[in-house]
Amino acid sequence: MSKTVLCTCEDVTVEDVETAIAKGYRDVESVKRYTGFGTGFCQGKSCLSAVADMLCRRADLHGEALAPFTPRPPWQPTELSILASAPVDESAPPVGGVPVSLGLSNRALRPSEPLPARAQVVVIGGGIMGLALAHNLSLWGERDILVLDKSYLCAGASGRNGGGVRMQWGTQSNIELAKRSIELMKGFAGEMGIHIWFRQGGYLFLAKSDAVARRLERSAALHNRHGVPTQILSAEDAREIVPELTMQGVKVCAFNRRDGVIFPWPFLWGYAQSLTRRGARVETFTKVTGFELSQGRVRAVKTDRGDVSCEAVVLAAGAWSPEVAALAGVKLPNQPHRHEILSTEPLKPFLGPLVSVMDSGLYFSQSTRGELVGGMGDPKEPAGMNLGSTLRFLSRFARALIEQLPEAGRIKVLRQWAGPYDVTPDNSPILGRTPTLPNLLQMSGFVGHGFMMAPAVAERMAAWMGGQPDELFTRFNLSRFAEGRLEREDMIIG
Amino acid sequence: MRRLGGWGKEIELDLEGKLVPALDGEPVAASLLAAGESVFARSVKYHRPRGPFCFSGGCSQCLMRVDGVPNLHTCRVPARAGLKLERQNAYPSAKFDLLAATDWLFPKGLDHHEMFAHVPAADRVLTRVARHLAGLGKLPDEAPPSAKPAETIRTKVAVVGAGPAGSSAARALEERGLPYLLIEREPYLGGRLVHGAPDSGEPPPLDPAPTSVCLEATAVGLYDDEEGRFLAVLRHWSLLKVYAERFLLAPGGTPTLIAFENNDIPGVLAGRAVSRLLRVHRLLPGERFALIGEGAEMYALARLLESNGATVAAVVDLCAAPGKGALFVQPVRALGRRRLHGLEVRGHDGALHRIDCDAVALCRPPAPSFELARQGGALVVFDEQARTFAVKTDAHGRTTQRGLFVAGEVASPMSALAAAEHGRRAAQAIASELSGGL
Repeated sequence: MSKTVLCTCEDVTVEDVETAIAKGYRDVESVKRYTGFGTGFCQGKSCLSAVADMLCRRADLHGEALAPFTPRPPWQPTELSILASAPVDESAPPVGGVPVSLGLSNRALRPSEPLPARAQVVVIGGGIMGLALAHNLSLWGERDILVLDKSYLCAGASGRNGGGVRMQWGTQSNIELAKRSIELMKGFAGEMGIHIWFRQGGYLFLAKSDAVARRLERSAALHNRHGVPTQILSAEDAREIVPELTMQGVKVCAFNRRDGVIFPWPFLWGYAQSLTRRGARVETFTKVTGFELSQGRVRAVKTDRGDVSCEAVVLAAGAWSPEVAALAGVKLPNQPHRHEILSTEPLKPFLGPLVSVMDSGLYFSQSTRGELVGGMGDPKEPAGMNLGSTLRFLSRFARALIEQLPEAGRIKVLRQWAGPYDVTPDNSPILGRTPTLPNLLQMSGFVGHGFMMAPAVAERMAAWMGGQPDELFTRFNLSRFAEGRLEREDMIIG
Repeated sequence: MRRLGGWGKEIELDLEGKLVPALDGEPVAASLLAAGESVFARSVKYHRPRGPFCFSGGCSQCLMRVDGVPNLHTCRVPARAGLKLERQNAYPSAKFDLLAATDWLFPKGLDHHEMFAHVPAADRVLTRVARHLAGLGKLPDEAPPSAKPAETIRTKVAVVGAGPAGSSAARALEERGLPYLLIEREPYLGGRLVHGAPDSGEPPPLDPAPTSVCLEATAVGLYDDEEGRFLAVLRHWSLLKVYAERFLLAPGGTPTLIAFENNDIPGVLAGRAVSRLLRVHRLLPGERFALIGEGAEMYALARLLESNGATVAAVVDLCAAPGKGALFVQPVRALGRRRLHGLEVRGHDGALHRIDCDAVALCRPPAPSFELARQGGALVVFDEQARTFAVKTDAHGRTTQRGLFVAGEVASPMSALAAAEHGRRAAQAIASELSGGL
């Protein structure tokens, strides 16, 4: 059958790019994600210019608006075992990261038409939190919503995470939120008309030290009390789930078969498309530059496309939230922490669950496309916004992975990137009213697991904004830091 | 498919149980083409037949499982007696792949985002099906030998790519007595001077050749760490970290596709793949060629093919002005499926013509390999005339990032002679920076 192929790695055709443009995905980064071009074995070497040429002629992009997508090292597929040989000084913090500049907010892509002068609710941040909240508000009948993002959808942590979703948490509220999220994820494709490829292959946690083993056992007991069927397994029994694992140094494992993985990007597109259909507006490449405040309330949100007066503002900018809050004179205790991640060549399915070594923060799963997707926290990572990639991460990850999965030494890394964890002092989110500005609502601080919590948190937040009382928004209020009421979550990976 | 000579010991490869003759050390993809094999794999989504395209490890069309390792570029794996080759992503076989039905069932393409999404429970079934259809190749059979310990090299100037630009830059650095290291993917210096179609305006051979050279080494990242900026270089199953005070990136570019129907079928090759097969591996990958592209290099390839006994059945000049002699100006459709047997083209009069041919060479300038430069922070812009992204640079190879220089085709399409000159000037600029003068 005749097809005109632009990306032979992923079989992306001219029609696919036309479809993406018609759906409003016009910039190179969005077209890459929506069509999949440039995400295959060659990482866009042979197709990027051809697609850009098409966008130039058919989407009328020119000059700086037509920037290439972020190059993600390595330039050639590279075996993990070679990367493992790079020396790492574990006693020193990581330095640097490439690309040197990411260019998330491309001013040349800023739409020229002005924003509406007024909106009932302005949501700052078009990540999973903001979009899910806006969607839920629209289900409550609120259509006068404006979602703003300084970049393309998926540019922030929502587009940079590994797609893991799990019920295995250390606090009751997180367990309940995760359970509800997973329920909502199961119905997402049917409701939104877009696949998120949710696969319940389970989460398999490995513990190598006694302390971590005890922690897994304690939380498994908590899970069981809340209807989550987490099992504590011996290393030998866990090998029945993934026979390829060496289980080197592993004392005990925890497995919940109902945890799983999703494909993050379509989750955002699904919400955004549904919002647009319902008359709400999602405006990308639009930067918030300040707030108009008077008498203890936010009156308007100032942007580089004009001011929007509003009744309420929701700050859902993930790790960028402190930066935005500061524009309103509000200090958030969140700090961004880089977490690096990589994706390998796609292979036929061999790995069911997401596997995580709790001690080192190593995690890896196999995406529906077949890639191993995984990362590992770096205990020496300093706080700060840095989305650069390092060889150090590749080496640390490769060593930890090969220890558990020796065949992976032959698997080739196709690309690496990083995303910001939005870390709070107690690893719990910041939700609800800002004490000093009651119509500025906070929705951030999810410490790397916001994606999996968003559907449930957004559902409850919309109901709460609609007038239903909910203790979540008092318990996790910003005021808790001043009052010393901290609620610590310790099932954080990395 | 015809061998024009070639040297090396005659050996045999094992292609899914079938013995295929080969010459020891040549790329496996060349051996298979010489043996008349056209289908190397099936594509990831529509299971369309795939055969080699770029012959430079820059695409994914020649990937095979080699000795139990999935997804290796057969254009870069040297033939060795008994090497076991398996085609991937096909059921029951790449030649007769039942899953190719997807291509016919979805003539307008398959929308994997929305297909059946509203159908109750369909997403669960689809997720399962997609998972089993997705993925290229299976998990490697066994763990690899451990890599040698990584090595660290420090030099004044690291030069990536020993094509005309990089080689002449290295030569100029050598003349000035500046320590440098020239890093080249191929086992030879010269780049397109060796494997491209010879042009009348080529620079003279480098004599003496640069001496500080690391061949068969691929720079995969321009990183920075506590000790400064460095290149991560892969060489013979080991890693080199090359720290330098200045970086000169001259990696050239990657052949790109040209959009026309069936532009992906086996037999559609990059022009530089054709010249490489001819000049380096003494293999003529067809008898009747159609060339699509622009510029002097396409006509040089036509001459090279004819002088090696092939027929150039048609030249489709994408840049030909109306009435300027070129007969054909637009490719429409490649004909064939597992093997190419023709090309439909449009003439400048708008009429459709059918060309009988068994190979098509795409001869647009390669897309600049800007990735390393952009990792290092250099600005990359879209050149609407060349229709590619390229690193922004001045005549001396300076990028917008201090310490980072580029030269040759990574900056814009240029002849080998111009690339050599660009490389030489970049080396001069680096030398004057390092000696303190600016």
